[in-house]
Amino acid sequence: MKAALSRCLWIARITFLEAIRQRFFAFLFVLGAVLVLSSSAIRVFDFGHSELKFIADFGFGGLFLFGSMLGVVMTAQLFFAELDNRTALTLLAKPLGRGEFLVGKFLGTWAVLGVFVIALVGLLGVMLGWRAAELAALAAERRLSPPEFDAAGLGLFALLQWLRLGVVVAMVLTVAAAARTFLFAVVVGALAVLAGQLQWLSQDLLLKPAEAGLGRAALWLLTHLLPNLQQFNLGDALVLAPHQVHDGTLPWVFASGLAYIVAFLALASFLFRRREI
Amino acid sequence: MNAEPAISVRNLTKDFRIGLKGLKLRAVDDLSLSIPRGQVFGLLGPNGCGKSTTLKIILGLVTATSGEISILGLPSATPAARARTGFLPEAPYFHKFLSGRELVRYCAHLSGVPSDRVEAAVDEALALVAMSEASERRVGTYSKGMLQRIGLAQAIVHDPELVILDEPTAGVDPVGAAAIGRIIEAMRTRGKTVVLCSHLLGQVEQVCDRVAIMDKGRLVLEGAVEEVLERRDRHVLTVAELTPAALAAAETALAAHGATLGSVTHPRRSLEELFRELVTGSRDA
Repeated sequence: MKAALSRCLWIARITFLEAIRQRFFAFLFVLGAVLVLSSSAIRVFDFGHSELKFIADFGFGGLFLFGSMLGVVMTAQLFFAELDNRTALTLLAKPLGRGEFLVGKFLGTWAVLGVFVIALVGLLGVMLGWRAAELAALAAERRLSPPEFDAAGLGLFALLQWLRLGVVVAMVLTVAAAARTFLFAVVVGALAVLAGQLQWLSQDLLLKPAEAGLGRAALWLLTHLLPNLQQFNLGDALVLAPHQVHDGTLPWVFASGLAYIVAFLALASFLFRRREI
Repeated sequence: MNAEPAISVRNLTKDFRIGLKGLKLRAVDDLSLSIPRGQVFGLLGPNGCGKSTTLKIILGLVTATSGEISILGLPSATPAARARTGFLPEAPYFHKFLSGRELVRYCAHLSGVPSDRVEAAVDEALALVAMSEASERRVGTYSKGMLQRIGLAQAIVHDPELVILDEPTAGVDPVGAAAIGRIIEAMRTRGKTVVLCSHLLGQVEQVCDRVAIMDKGRLVLEGAVEEVLERRDRHVLTVAELTPAALAAAETALAAHGATLGSVTHPRRSLEELFRELVTGSRDA
């Protein structure tokens, strides 16, 4: 068990080193950072929203969009790079289980996404903290209550987003384990993420009375097999209104996220088990 | 001494399904082979004859359609069997951002070398392939010969009993190829079993104890190098200072005993021997 863990961590380490060097990672990180920083410059166009919410929404949106893109493309890229460059031939000829290989790839990719989340959320935290302090001073002058901003809630939000990206990575790895090409893995992986993000639509449709049919069966499968990625979007409640989150919500979201990761990795290992390298 | 062969292959067949219709392409056809321990075994054949597929099946990278394979008495494709095997794939590619030492260390950890033994094992493997000096350089800066040598180091870092080398000299100049030949001989001296796939037939002849030749997925010949190459119905005499009169007298003497002189030629050295004689001491570092 210890040896297996050590092998997983070595694969993860090399995957991390490879991923962190990718221009795609740097490119999306810069885009995300620019988006977060620009929120303060264009807050005059906030269409009446409160300023902190505008900045936070901008940051959350950037994190969601670029994090998802990074999660889908980088996972597929790192997986297929091992197969296409034939480094997998060398690695899998060693006493390394295919499941260990996949877990290592998962951990390495997830760690890079952790860096991405920490960096962007850190930047967003600086922006929110700085503006919250300014607004609190203004509110004090006018004897108004200061806007709410919870830095610890932002930390929890970062953890949730990292977990969401972990689910995305595990999901794309499952697709990649069965896919023949990088492009197929990216397209199907992106569609799966989109379906997970829009799962509330299928849940709503299922609640409406309708005749049983293939469409309804597909909806049922979609709702029960794919994770509801919207459940991780608790940013507003955690950061700007910290008392609105119910007690059981966070443990449930964490547990379901981890369960999905484990389930997807088990499925990926099964699919990859007999793949010809 | 353990009686189990290093590799035992029985009735191995591999079909690939190609195209949308799933047409069957037979890559390996009812191959049976037994590779004894402690020898250098050459697996030869033209491109596409099924050599690499056979090696991949032995290592569990590709699934056999039918047949049985064991490595050192263990079922092949199990981590336990792979722990005692080293593999250098054809045209190896490694992560370019790692240094040679980092790559070999990474492979040592994956191969199950105990943590407190890793550095010593890495040093030993690098020394054996003469890559100690270049080990701090990034793999991306290595020449083809150096890549093959660092590939050999990652294959042997865990001191495996069986080493499988798929075209270790492909694209390597004669000096580099000779260096790889010396490494293979050093492994034999250490009692390892080496399976060598190569198109450098001169080198195979030089370093291998036994060879097998495959064609169109089938085994067409297998045996000890000396046995398969020897033509027992022909003899070679090497004579110095052969004058025309001496040649005529020899021909007469041979005819008197019912023997026929087939041909008289000057012995040649191979281009490889000449090249290595002229380009001495050079390494492709």
